[in-house]
Amino acid sequence: MSWRWTLRSLRSSRARFHGRSHELFFSTSLCSARSSRISVSPENSTKVVSCKEGRCWGARGLHDVRYQLDLDRSSEEMDPFSLVADELSLIADRLRSMVIAEVPKLASAAEYFFKMGVEGKRFRPTVLLHMASALNMPTPWSAADNLFGSLSGDLRTRQQCIAEITEMIHVASLLHDDVLDDADTRRGIGSLNIVMGNKLSVLAGDFLLSRACIALSSLGNTEVVSLMATAVEHLVNGETMQMTTSAEKRCSMEYYLQKTFYKTASLISNSCKCVAILAGQTAEVSMLAYNYGQNLGLAFQLIDDVLDFTGTSSSLGKGSLSDIRHGIVTAPILFAMEEYPQLRKIVDRGLKEPADIDIALDYLEKSQGIKRTKELAAVHADHAIKAIDAFPESDNENVHISRKALVDLTHRVLTRTK
Amino acid sequence: MSWRWTLRSLRSSRARFHGRSHELFFSTSLCSARSSRISVSPENSTKVVSCKEGRCWGARGLHDVRYQLDLDRSSEEEQMDPFSLVADELSLIADRLRSMVIAEVPKLASAAEYFFKMGVEGKRFRPTVLLHMASALNMPTPWSAADNLFGSLSGDLRTRQQCIAEITEMIHVASLLHDDVLDDADTRRGIGSLNIVMGNKLSVLAGDFLLSRACIALSSLGNTEVVSLMATAVEHLVNGETMQMTTSAEKRCSMEYYLQKTFYKTASLISNSCKCVAILAGQTAEVSMLAYNYGQNLGLAFQLIDDVLDFTGTSSSLGKGSLSDIRHGIVTAPILFAMEEYPQLRKIVDRGLKEPADIDIALDYLEKSQGIKRTKELAAVHADHAIKAIDAFPESDNENVHISRKALVDLTHRVLTRTK
Repeated sequence: MSWRWTLRSLRSSRARFHGRSHELFFSTSLCSARSSRISVSPENSTKVVSCKEGRCWGARGLHDVRYQLDLDRSSEEMDPFSLVADELSLIADRLRSMVIAEVPKLASAAEYFFKMGVEGKRFRPTVLLHMASALNMPTPWSAADNLFGSLSGDLRTRQQCIAEITEMIHVASLLHDDVLDDADTRRGIGSLNIVMGNKLSVLAGDFLLSRACIALSSLGNTEVVSLMATAVEHLVNGETMQMTTSAEKRCSMEYYLQKTFYKTASLISNSCKCVAILAGQTAEVSMLAYNYGQNLGLAFQLIDDVLDFTGTSSSLGKGSLSDIRHGIVTAPILFAMEEYPQLRKIVDRGLKEPADIDIALDYLEKSQGIKRTKELAAVHADHAIKAIDAFPESDNENVHISRKALVDLTHRVLTRTK
Repeated sequence: MSWRWTLRSLRSSRARFHGRSHELFFSTSLCSARSSRISVSPENSTKVVSCKEGRCWGARGLHDVRYQLDLDRSSEEEQMDPFSLVADELSLIADRLRSMVIAEVPKLASAAEYFFKMGVEGKRFRPTVLLHMASALNMPTPWSAADNLFGSLSGDLRTRQQCIAEITEMIHVASLLHDDVLDDADTRRGIGSLNIVMGNKLSVLAGDFLLSRACIALSSLGNTEVVSLMATAVEHLVNGETMQMTTSAEKRCSMEYYLQKTFYKTASLISNSCKCVAILAGQTAEVSMLAYNYGQNLGLAFQLIDDVLDFTGTSSSLGKGSLSDIRHGIVTAPILFAMEEYPQLRKIVDRGLKEPADIDIALDYLEKSQGIKRTKELAAVHADHAIKAIDAFPESDNENVHISRKALVDLTHRVLTRTK
């Protein structure tokens, strides 16, 4: 089966109603460098929809060109990341431009994390872009939104903005967390606070947060502002919970899951919901988007916990063991404690002694801890898939492709080895 | 001349149109404890306007009571103290602030609350300015009708303007918490700074928490221009602090750089929040800019006098002040002016002001120079600009509007004449 993706330069956002599920803005250089098998054929001259002024540095005007992304994959699955690769670059460019500050030192500090090569897997933006495509259909509010959209910028651009804001908030939290944890490395390079000092890290994080607020206000939707601000607060809550845990709470699965929601899942769930709200979806559908993000985030963290023990091997001890070495008790240990109460005593001693850590790992290996954590992750992944299945029907092919990509992402979360 | 302030319990916000310039919500206990010369006389039963739900913890329902604040001041020379005029409203705001920062994580709540404790709240300067600004602009505007419709949906105008004051304080305290981490400060507002008491980590988190609460409160106002202005204020605070940290030798001696940094660190927050108050009141862009100008000039005047007091303290001679700026190697306006007269001082400054001997030499130059005097003059210029902005406000024959505009002018004078 081959899919033909046709991306046409659009005269106005009204073209959205003519069945194109989304507009992907390409620059000729981006296109030729990254996408595979593109045929470029000159067409009648049409203008690209202008991005929201001042924020679309990455987009180039397209004239006289129609791009076709010909993805002839007969049996291979569509890689969710490749499907949105160019849009991700666009977002990365805009992000870099958006953080240019009047104070150069701050700009270099903030840019530090948006450098090519240290951008992580761009997991969150990928989810959000597919969520946007998966919900791209006429809604009760489409007409009003279109009016609003032409005032405040095309829908897709605004949804991309959510992805940018999400990344800014995420990076700001990383910068502050690194100060808190005195971390040495982050994303494989020297963490900013080591390179430039704690002070600048705190300021750079604040700067990103304020830029995120300004970008949020530009969307003109106060529910969206409120949701993303709540996500920031949850990040703070989660980090605080981790710092101020009592011995009792440390051994509570409920406390751990709440903390995990705050630290990992809340950001992605709230931004998924924002994407749905901007699309004019109903409250029910927006909650489905939220549920997808929430369950995906929880599944992601649970597997993260497993990988910290197992690494690239399914046996123990090959992982980095960084959680347990920092005295952080995660799901596998919590499950193991249910089977072996003696393990509780070891944990209560603080896991500071290497000998204690070894004993704990022994118990973990004997127990079903790893297995049960994986099962719990699978349960959450299943909930996420169910949320996608409950989305309103659509016969648009690109909507189906993106929904499939979202399902695919839940599988990848479960099966990844790093 | 005696003024009679009549505060009537109101049935609905529509009473605003019957000439009351603002509703001050009193609880009987607050009232009796703080206001002077209050006579309470039972009247026909009326209900107080309910505050925006969930955020008005401090207000108590009033029934069957009419309060009269009788301020019988025969001598015209005695001015109304701007702070006393809004004392009860300030307490209301403080209560709401405390409630607003209650967190699901208790340790964070105690950290954030740390700065809103009674007694360590600073002079509540900013909220006082904002409340008077709200009163000073309380008049029918082209948007009043629409705003009233919106107001009944999203909360009474005065409550929303009070919310700006709360948000401003949250942002201000968040910046203090982060600055203390940056500066390894020992004390703040006379008590052990939070980072010493509870650690740097919790200070950073508490600051972030306050910022996110401020964002949520901002979004509840339903006005994206306001969100944008306050977010810009946050960014400016960050810019100002960064400028201070990363100054080159060249820039350190530049008056222009110093004034820009001062605007960012001190004036931007108050100017942007004044503008927000005006915007919420439905004022035109021109009037909103006047409010902005007032705040900007007031903030700059405040900081310039602050710089002077750091040298002079409570005496007009040098050396009695805390000298904390110069001891941290921070070059402020008096030194910058002195450098214009005595270029030799520049060399001393370029050495970093790390040696006590260098500091003494610099102070000598400062005393010989016109540095202090010229700084005070510059502050007076800005205070004058602030007063002109108030004078340019649209005419009103409402007495309370006049009282508040007078209070705003009074505040500019107090900024100049204060000794601490």
